[in-house]
Amino acid sequence: MSRPVAVVGAGMTRFVRRALETGKELSWEAARAALGSCGLTLADVDAVCLGSAPDAFDGVHRKGEYLAEGCGAYGKPFIRSFVGGGTGVFAAIQGWYTVASGLADVVLVVAEEKMSSCQPHPQGAFLTIFDNVLERPLGPNLLWIFALEMHRYMAAHGIEKRDVALVAVKNKRNAADHPAAQLGRADLTVDDVLASEVLAWPVQRLDVSPVSDGAVAVVMASEEAARRLTDRPVWVQGVGWNLDTAYWTNRDLVFPEYVADAARMAYAMAGLTEPRRQIHVVEPYDPFDYKELHHLEGLLLFERGKAPEAARDGVLDRDGDLPSCPSGGLLGVGNPIAAAGLMKVAELFWQLRGEAGARQVPGNPERGVAQAWGDLMQVGTVVVMGTEPPGGGGTAPAPPGRSPAGAVLGAGLRTPPLVTPGRGLSDEAFRTDPFAVDDELGTAYAWDAGVAVGGFLRGLEEGRVLGRACPSCDRVLVPPRMFCERCFRPTTRWVELPGTGVVQTFSICHVSWDMRPLEEPEIPAVIALDGSDGGLLHKLGGVRPEDVRIGMAVEPVWKPPAERSGSVLDVVHFRPRGEA
Amino acid sequence: MDGSVAVVGVGHAGFSPGVAGVSYKELMHEAARRAYADAGVDPRRDVDSFVCVSEDLEEGTSIFDGYVPDQLGAVRRPVQTLAADGLHAVATAVMLIRSGLARVVVVEGHRKASDVRTLGRVERFALDPIWNRPLEVPVAALAGLDMLRYLERSGEPEERCALVAARHRRAALENPRAAYAADLTPEEVLEAPPLSWPLRSLEAALPADGAVVLVLAAAERAADLTDRPVWVAGVGWANGASSLETRDWGRATAVARAAAMAYRQAGIEDPPAAVDVAEVDDAYAHRALLHLEALGLAPEGQAGAMLEAGRFDRDGASRVNPSGGALGEGHLGEGAGLARLSACVAQLRGEAGRAQVPGARVAVAQSWRGFPSDSAAVAVLRAGEGVAG
Repeated sequence: MSRPVAVVGAGMTRFVRRALETGKELSWEAARAALGSCGLTLADVDAVCLGSAPDAFDGVHRKGEYLAEGCGAYGKPFIRSFVGGGTGVFAAIQGWYTVASGLADVVLVVAEEKMSSCQPHPQGAFLTIFDNVLERPLGPNLLWIFALEMHRYMAAHGIEKRDVALVAVKNKRNAADHPAAQLGRADLTVDDVLASEVLAWPVQRLDVSPVSDGAVAVVMASEEAARRLTDRPVWVQGVGWNLDTAYWTNRDLVFPEYVADAARMAYAMAGLTEPRRQIHVVEPYDPFDYKELHHLEGLLLFERGKAPEAARDGVLDRDGDLPSCPSGGLLGVGNPIAAAGLMKVAELFWQLRGEAGARQVPGNPERGVAQAWGDLMQVGTVVVMGTEPPGGGGTAPAPPGRSPAGAVLGAGLRTPPLVTPGRGLSDEAFRTDPFAVDDELGTAYAWDAGVAVGGFLRGLEEGRVLGRACPSCDRVLVPPRMFCERCFRPTTRWVELPGTGVVQTFSICHVSWDMRPLEEPEIPAVIALDGSDGGLLHKLGGVRPEDVRIGMAVEPVWKPPAERSGSVLDVVHFRPRGEA
Repeated sequence: MDGSVAVVGVGHAGFSPGVAGVSYKELMHEAARRAYADAGVDPRRDVDSFVCVSEDLEEGTSIFDGYVPDQLGAVRRPVQTLAADGLHAVATAVMLIRSGLARVVVVEGHRKASDVRTLGRVERFALDPIWNRPLEVPVAALAGLDMLRYLERSGEPEERCALVAARHRRAALENPRAAYAADLTPEEVLEAPPLSWPLRSLEAALPADGAVVLVLAAAERAADLTDRPVWVAGVGWANGASSLETRDWGRATAVARAAAMAYRQAGIEDPPAAVDVAEVDDAYAHRALLHLEALGLAPEGQAGAMLEAGRFDRDGASRVNPSGGALGEGHLGEGAGLARLSACVAQLRGEAGRAQVPGARVAVAQSWRGFPSDSAAVAVLRAGEGVAG
């Protein structure tokens, strides 16, 4: 069955805002650095795997095919995978099974993202991640969902914003030691984070990772090839991934169950029974500071709601008991989506070889875990890596020949490894650059709402909120579907709901999707509808932002019948019950 | 046999120029239910991993992979999406099973072409943003460039490409799910208006709405699930040049590489002798000929003449795209290779009705992702009763 697989080389470009390189050039730089790090050329590579997230960033349809030659895929087996923000770590999983299956011995894994091509702001690429019929008409932007999740997480556990901000401070400090980092800063304080601009409360400017361009590559090899290529392969001990329902408003956002499922899958494969003790360094996904804490809990490394305490106690610091994001993470190194995920795998490679230089965590770490997350708060991807081949379990003794902590054994990360400039431009410089080529997508779509959602929209036009009943699970589903995703049986009948509900979580959003300030903030909310299992994304109105509370009872405000069109916008907004 | 993988269930839905009133989720769901019923599996209990194929801009949804689990019964399971053809997903399913990570894998591909109002704008965005797009060259023109180069190199007359188009659309008359079946003659194809000379409108496959779902299983599970497994004896995939400037026009080198990989795994050294049925990519009629040659089923430049001479017929049945192919069924986008593969499964199960090739035991399904990209995948399938390889 499965063959042992090791990571034998890694390389990356600098992460920058507005790279001068094309996506192909970034991919090539990273691939070349990774191959060079283990003395290989493209001729030694049997297959190429690419991870890259939405096509809308690069502004290229079928961008995997476009990037292929930059990844070294000419004439080779090549597949691009994507699982949203989880893609970067998933690319390593793809590399793993390509080798483990016996179909290839040496695989080049590349992850690329060039977010800055998307104008006027890369958030535009996220406008169409929302449900085409029920959510996009509300004009949601990506910050909403993070703010809604963060608020729910903080409220459920009584978490202080100060403790969350510690993560941003730690990661930007760690990134100051990373030669490829975009936002390393050793002197940032919690007060700086708390004083930064409020984007969508509780999310503030310094809680968020930056817009970045960049690429990362690793080389993965079978045991025989790995032993030939290096005396210190880093083994993949376990892999796991998991995708939760697309109906994210039907879930409680307080805990990432899908990350826990992915972690259990990876830990079982790695034979880990006490992950908190057996894992020595962790690279959880940190596009926002609270996400690192959320994911450390999802990775079963801390009890629910307890990760902030660990941040406060210094446990997560580079010299702490469980160093977390020693690279500097997405908050510090930067967040070219898929590349940032694979950067975490590369960081474990360097850390476990003792090659991380100034970033090296002390104490000879022998096992680490990298994790990424994506889609509509849905995907968990997890890789466990270690200095011992898979099949072991407990903490193995250090292999012979290992060096003391902190010593730089090999080349580690050399930056810039660059033939092309490897530096970014300011927004203004980019926009006035005569060599920037403007283009516009200009596509149009006409969605079939379908049987279930079509019925829901007709109900809204009549001023009624309808759900579908699943008798086996005893649930009423809103948004309605003709099938129940849990038991996979058909739903059997329409149920009319009162339309009232309770605020499950909300945000106060001060910016538009292209990050321009709004004159009046918007209040997006997930509303748990009475009589249904789960909630619906909508906005609140008729209430001052400071008066909104989680748990507040609300009711829909309908458009006059003549103005309704069978749209989610037939409800103007929800307002507190029994008021004006 | 350790590492062997079988197709144990197939389901389809749609295959129509436009399936109105049904969402892409409901289309996928219908195909999935049929595949699960065919395989006798409960996705909530029996399936270990799911592999889907899609492309964001064709879907009109960024990060589309998030929208697949519910309608497939895949919530809280290992689900992944590939920006690739469905045969790449079959290759991935084989890898997941061979690596020991899964025993039963579901593969899904679909297209809701009727949702896309501006297909040309989407296709244009697949071109290099700096060099190619400003020229505003449509994809059909690229196919014309490729076709002319093929005709010139092979010495094939245009009539042979018209013959392919007529054959496939006529074959589709026997295929109840085909959207574009027609009783056409090669002469009528030649009289059709040109898309981009020498390519004529009836020589290009048209989009269809549809979904295909397959259930694949490791040998030991396949034995439990079916008494008529179809074995994936080999699977290969490869990329060609991704830029227009460096590609080999009028050739199919990526297909040839993918085929070599698949045949090697299947232990096939003499494809014409070993292969009973081929379902090749026929997004453009001339590519079907090119693909037959790249698959080693015809000597270079000979596929058209062999087709005309009846060398690909057996007892009145066509051994090349007996389903009618994408020209006859409609093109399913990223799901195209799965449509070809499912037609092969029908042949190897003896379920192809009036299109059945007598004695079909070995079939080849092939995909090519179409202009401007140049990636290909090939699967070799073998009928069997619990014995693979």
